[in-house]
Amino acid sequence: MQLREFFTQDVIKLDLQGASKDEVLKELISLLRLPEKSEGILFKMLKRRENLGSTGIGRGIAIPHCRSLVVNHLRVAFGRRSQAVDFKAIDDKPVSFFFLIVAPPLEVSNQYLPVLGKIAQLCREPDVPEKLAEISTPAEFLELLDQKQF
Amino acid sequence: MHPQLEILLELQDLKAQQRELAGGAEDTSQEIERKVFRVKPEDAAAQLQAKIEEMESTLAPEIANRYRVISDRRNRAVAPVLGGICYGCFMAIPTGVPPSNDEIRWCEHCGSFLYFVD
Repeated sequence: MQLREFFTQDVIKLDLQGASKDEVLKELISLLRLPEKSEGILFKMLKRRENLGSTGIGRGIAIPHCRSLVVNHLRVAFGRRSQAVDFKAIDDKPVSFFFLIVAPPLEVSNQYLPVLGKIAQLCREPDVPEKLAEISTPAEFLELLDQKQF
Repeated sequence: MHPQLEILLELQDLKAQQRELAGGAEDTSQEIERKVFRVKPEDAAAQLQAKIEEMESTLAPEIANRYRVISDRRNRAVAPVLGGICYGCFMAIPTGVPPSNDEIRWCEHCGSFLYFVD
């Protein structure tokens, strides 16, 4: 299983506009193109997860994630904001790069945790924040995933 | 969407999150939450349990009764419906049932509350 399999260009946004944690989460959710009501439920679940502890893992990266019945299979998205926002990250630094992961509670293929683990592993690579800052198109983001072979 | 169904959905999602944090079948989740996100799974699970109880208290009595019975029996009280199939029991939903979440409906086979995903 490779991370590249889960991302398509339409779930990658390199110019997020949201100026706060909540706005960024909503913008990431909108990339999944869910019905409005489902977006609201998903936002609440992501917020509840954030309340347990920030998903900002440091080095300008956050991985908001949760399980929710509003999706019928694993969904991912990536967003980047040129001006980092306060995400209460574990290193107290603002965040520019956001990987969103959502999966249904019952998941036959059981990909949620492996994908979450792989994204976390990818984000630990020393050059990844720099590479994520350099890319200029969604295609380049996908190429980066290909190169990294996670 | 029916407001009580919204609560049921949130409860189900919270319970899924809590099950993972509490360990059980997927210890990997605990490990990731602890190592990557520095969350204390035990504290987080307790926090979620408090929220679950708070939300359960907002269910209407007749919904709460069914919710309790189904939760005890099946662990998950809400089943997604995909392609006309209840994913609680994998039986077909009768064609006469409109695929809408505006009313509370349950599966006539397994009794789960139904959430029409598509």
